Formats: sequence, C-alpha cells, structure tokens
Amino acid sequence: MVTRGFWTRRSILHATVGAVALGTKGLSGAVAAPYVLQKGSKVTYWGGLIFSDKANKLLQEAVKTWGDQNGITTEVVMINQNETVQKVSAAIASNTMPDGLDMSLDLLMVLSKQGVFLPLDDVYESIGKANGGWFAPVASATDTSKVAGGRTGIPFGVSGNLLLRRTDLLKTAGFEKPPATWQELVQQAAAVTKPPLFGLGLAFSNVGDGNVQVSALQSFGGRIADDTGTKAAIKSNETREYLRWVKDAWDKKVFPPGNTTWDGAGDNQSYLAGQAAFIANTGSVGIAARTQDPELYKDTAYSSLPAGPKGVVSPLQPQVRAVSKSSKNPDAAKALIEHLAQPTFMNAYYDAAIYGPVLQDQAKFKGFTQDPILSGLLDLVQKGTAPGYPDIYNTAYADMWNNFVVPKMVQRVVVDNWDLDRAMDEAQTQTQAIYDKYK
Amino acid sequence: MRQRPTSTAEPRLSAETQQNLFAYALVVPVALLLVGLVGYPLFYAVYVSFTNMVVGGGGDWIGLANFQYLAGSPVFASAIWNTVVLVVVSDAFKLAIGLGLALLVNERIPARGLFRSFLMLPWAMPAFVAFLTWRVLYQPIGGGINLILTNTGLYPEIVDWLGQRSTAMPAVIVASVWRGFPFWFISILAGLQNIPAELYEAARVDGANAWQRFRAVTWPGIKRVVIITTLLSSIWTANSFESVWLLTQGGPSDATMVFPVLAYFGMQTQRIGEAAAVSVAMLPALLILVFITTSLMQGDESERD
Repeated sequence: MVTRGFWTRRSILHATVGAVALGTKGLSGAVAAPYVLQKGSKVTYWGGLIFSDKANKLLQEAVKTWGDQNGITTEVVMINQNETVQKVSAAIASNTMPDGLDMSLDLLMVLSKQGVFLPLDDVYESIGKANGGWFAPVASATDTSKVAGGRTGIPFGVSGNLLLRRTDLLKTAGFEKPPATWQELVQQAAAVTKPPLFGLGLAFSNVGDGNVQVSALQSFGGRIADDTGTKAAIKSNETREYLRWVKDAWDKKVFPPGNTTWDGAGDNQSYLAGQAAFIANTGSVGIAARTQDPELYKDTAYSSLPAGPKGVVSPLQPQVRAVSKSSKNPDAAKALIEHLAQPTFMNAYYDAAIYGPVLQDQAKFKGFTQDPILSGLLDLVQKGTAPGYPDIYNTAYADMWNNFVVPKMVQRVVVDNWDLDRAMDEAQTQTQAIYDKYK
Repeated sequence: MRQRPTSTAEPRLSAETQQNLFAYALVVPVALLLVGLVGYPLFYAVYVSFTNMVVGGGGDWIGLANFQYLAGSPVFASAIWNTVVLVVVSDAFKLAIGLGLALLVNERIPARGLFRSFLMLPWAMPAFVAFLTWRVLYQPIGGGINLILTNTGLYPEIVDWLGQRSTAMPAVIVASVWRGFPFWFISILAGLQNIPAELYEAARVDGANAWQRFRAVTWPGIKRVVIITTLLSSIWTANSFESVWLLTQGGPSDATMVFPVLAYFGMQTQRIGEAAAVSVAMLPALLILVFITTSLMQGDESERD
C-alpha cells in the first residue's frame, strides 16, 4: 500500500502560509503611514505570475489573509508577466484597472509618464524606514520622480542574470573557477563541448534571454546610444570587438543548435536536459533543478556574468508594485502594498521565488545567506549595474530592448553571415529610428 | 344640410413604401450589430494607426509617421515578403493535399468514415498544441525528425530546422499546411458531394476519360468552394500568429517575420499606434483579395442564373 508522507508539498505550503499569516497578524495596524481602511470595501490586485507555484500561492494567500484581518474583500488575479502589457492596455482603455498591481520597471516607466499611477513616496519612505533602508542600486533604478513627479513603484524583488555552470564537467576539464572574462567563457565552453553536449547555452533569439547580449556588448565598451540618450551609438570599434567575439565562439560551435530561435524557456530546457554546460539565467533553472534533478542542482554553481574589457555589466531588473490612480480604494491598496513588504512574508516569498532582495534588512534572511541561487541574487543586487548602464535607461532604450536590436544584429552575423560592419550599420539605423521616435 | 367633413389626415404611405420601411426596420438591428462589432473596431484601429498612442495614453494625431517608420524598417519589407510566401505556398500545398484527399475519400473505399474523421484531427487540435508539437519535432537535439533521419541513416548530422534561414520558412509552412489542410479537405469534399452522379454518368457515356471528367464536371462543381476556401484560408494564414510565434518568433534573423508577429513586437514596446499601423498596412492587400474573390463569386452566380 502506498502511503503519503506526513510532509507533502501542500502541507508544507499551508504551514508556511499559516506561519506567514500568524507572523503578520496584527501588523496591519502597525504600519507607519496613516491609511484609512473602510471595512466592507474591496481591493483588486493583479499579482505577477512567476515560475514558482509556491510563490504565487503565497502571494495570493497573503493578500487574502490581509483582507480578512481588515474586513476588506480582496480579489487577486495572477497575470502572466508576458501578458501584462496587453492586459493593462485593455484595462486602461476600459477603465477597469485594478487597485494595485505588480509589473516590470519598463512598463512602470511608460505608464508613470502617462500619469496612470499614484505617487507612493509615503509608502516608499515608510517601508524603507522599517527595513533598514533600500539598496542604493534598487532605489536609483526605480526612481520615477523625473517622469512622474514622485515615486510610483514600490520595488519588491530584483531579477537579473547569473552565470550557471556545470561544475562536474568543468572540473573534469580542469576548470575550478568560474570564467572571469567572455574569452575565458568561450575557452571553458569549447573544452567541454562534445555533441550532444554544447558548452555555451546563450540565447541569440528574439526573446528576453537574447538581451543578455546587450550586457555582453556593453561590457566590451559598446554602447546603444550616446550620453544624451538620444543618438544611436551602436556602430563602434568596441561593438566590432564584441561581434568578433560572438563570431569566434560561433565558429567554434560551442552553442547548442536552435539557440537563434529559442523561446523564453530554450536555455532552461537546454541546461536541464544536459545539453549546455553554461547558461545565463535568472536562477529559475536552479529552482527547477532543485526539484526535478537534484544531481544537476548539486553540480551547478552560480557566478556573475563574465567581464569584458570595460568590466562586468550585469543589469538589475527590478519588479515593482503600484497603485492605479483610478483606484476607488487607494488607501487600502497602499496599506496592502506596505503589508506585503513585511519581513515574515518576504522571507517566505523569497525562499520560493527567484528574486533578489530590495531592502537592506532582507539580506539577513536565511535564504540569502545559505541558498546558492539566492546568494547569487543578493550579490547581483549589491554589485550589479543599473538598468541600461552605461547607457541611459529611458523609453527609447526600453523600445530598443523590446525590439531585440542586439540579438538581431548577432543573428545577422551568425545566421545570415553578414560582415560585421553591415550588421552594425543595420542595427545603428534601426536604433536611431527608434530613438528618433522619442525626440 | 350637413357638410362633408374635410379630411385633415396625411396621405397614407403606399404599400410599397411601407414594405420598404418594414424591410429597413428588420435590417437595422443587424446593421447596428455590424457597425458595433465590425465597423467600430476596424475604423478605430485605422484611426489609432495615425496616432502615437502608447499604453495608458490617448495619443496625438501624427499622420503617416507610423507608416513612414515601418517603411524605413528593414524588417517590414521582410514581413511583406514572408507573409506572401507563407500564404501562397501553404495555400498551394493545402489545395493539392485537400483536393487529393477529398477526391480519394469521395470514392467508395473501405473505412471511408473513419478515414474522414482521422483526417480532421489536425484541424480539431488546438493551434498552440499543434505548433508546440511541431516545435518538439523540429528540435535539433532529440527532435522526432532528426531522430528518424539519424536512426535510419538518411542524414547523420544534426539539422537545426528552425535555426537556419534555408529551412526555417519551409518548416513553418509544413506545420501550417499540416494544421490547415483538413479545412480544405472537408470543404472540397462537401463540394464534391453536391455534384450529381448523373453528370459523371453522362460524361462516361460520352467517352470522357478521368482527366476530362475532372475538368468538365468536377472542377466546375467545386470551383466556387475552392475560391471561398482560398479566400478564407489566405486571410487566416496571413493573420496566423501562433504558427510563427510558437515555432520561431519571426527568426532566425528575419527569415520568418510576418505581419502578426511584427504587430506583436509593436505591442511589446507598448506603442499601440505603431502596432495598429502594422495591422492596417495589411488591410489593402486583404481588401483586394476579398474584392477579387467576391467578384469571382458574383460572376459565378450570374453564370448560373
């Protein structure tokens, strides 16, 4: 007879949720900002659906528990992050925006410029004060004061790319340490490449993972635009050097076939299937390996992205919460967001999610001191670069990013066999056309 | 003497006018529905394409700027060419396969009903499942097609079907044809079954061979169905997003970039005006297609009358 273990995943989740609820019980009245909560009112919240079911459920339960404690009806809708733009567009057009929602920084920037969100400086100050202050890179990256006259987003997590490597394969090949430079990365990747295992699982496709190439280009000294953030500057000797590095690695056949058309899960699947020795990823692969392939999890090490001639460029990608200006219950939405920053909840949430911390006190959470993936994300928050750095992160830069200009330039070189200057010329023209739209 | 009362009433509407008004009254609800469900979104999309609307903003009128930006983009020309190739080539294959199978299944063959149901399966399958399955089949490592090629010794090398310019569009077309041919098959089969058997008998009596019977009896009988199917299939293929997005996201490079994927990229950058301009840029071609087909159909009906 098959008996179920006492600790099932569900029971652990319930226990965790219970602990979070208990831990935060009574704290709703302890928030610093004077929110007026009307019993019987309603708050709708759009949470960002992420890779971890456990984290998604924790968020839903935490909102519900807060609502129950305060006599407020809550409705949590988890939105696939790939569909946030479309859903928010429709909600704005039909005047059905939720009271609060999670989103990425680039969407926050665009919508803040349109005056869609309430300023949340009071919430930001209050949370920072209660949690040892915000990490400086997070604070500066999410500052919307210039576009919206105040802070409209409350950061709650940071993602970014870590370099994951197969220590078992690399040790056998004589590499103990992570590659410090992009050249070393190719060298190590080439040493372990033996089809169907390929060394370097970097995406060159038209998906978010392909934009790791923007960081690589910038670490070679290449730029997207000049210091005014208005004039395209892709065509340069530094970009040429970067493309030479790409072409050299491509000719060494270290990339798994298919990486020019991978979807968002392509590198994850490649690594989990044992087809790639290195990938650059947010850490979601590590989470998946922990449950699906403990052996692979044990054999995986995490480090920062390699350096180019201009050092390491590893941009933070903060996730934020915001309150809609059209909210009929703004105080409750603000109180909810402040509640969701409580250490007890965030400690449990970070353990399940794949985000780095945003507040100084969060660095002391057990996960950030013990778990290798979370430690890597903490390292990213402390040492990573601002979004867009060394370029100026503005709406034109975000447009370039979402149009995958750099991965497409790389595809011209490796797929179409264009010479480097021709590929740079096209990327330069395309980027300038993008930047011209925002003049 | 009593005076005859003079009539002050308005002259009554003629029966014909009343009938016309009644007909208009019957048509009004449908017309309003069409305006609301088709006209408004269509004209709103056209209007938006002339604005700089972004997510969350109203947008100002900017004339042809979105279209000028698109025309200057190298990927736009690729999208036009790729969309035409995808529509024309896949429709040609769908016609050939659909017609061939319909002719076959129209004959008295064993298990004909089962065969007909089986042929409908690709169309019954949700599109995203179908194209994700094809993506798995095309995987360079562990994909079904490469496994067959290597295990049978036909081709021992790894082929990156979706990652090379030379094979990406053919791969998308194959998947698109597989998913779309059942619609052609079932439409043409319905047309074949409407052809009276007597016509074939008469042709046989006249000594017509198989090709002559097809040209003189079958083709005229199914021509109208084929035209309508071509129109519908062309519009669906031109608007098909899943086939390309799930397989290649428009890559590698711009090898499979088509209009719907280009419009999606516009949405990703939160520039609704620009995304609408991509869709509106497709409209003239589709309108011409609709106009030609409608004219052909009307001509066909006149011939019958």
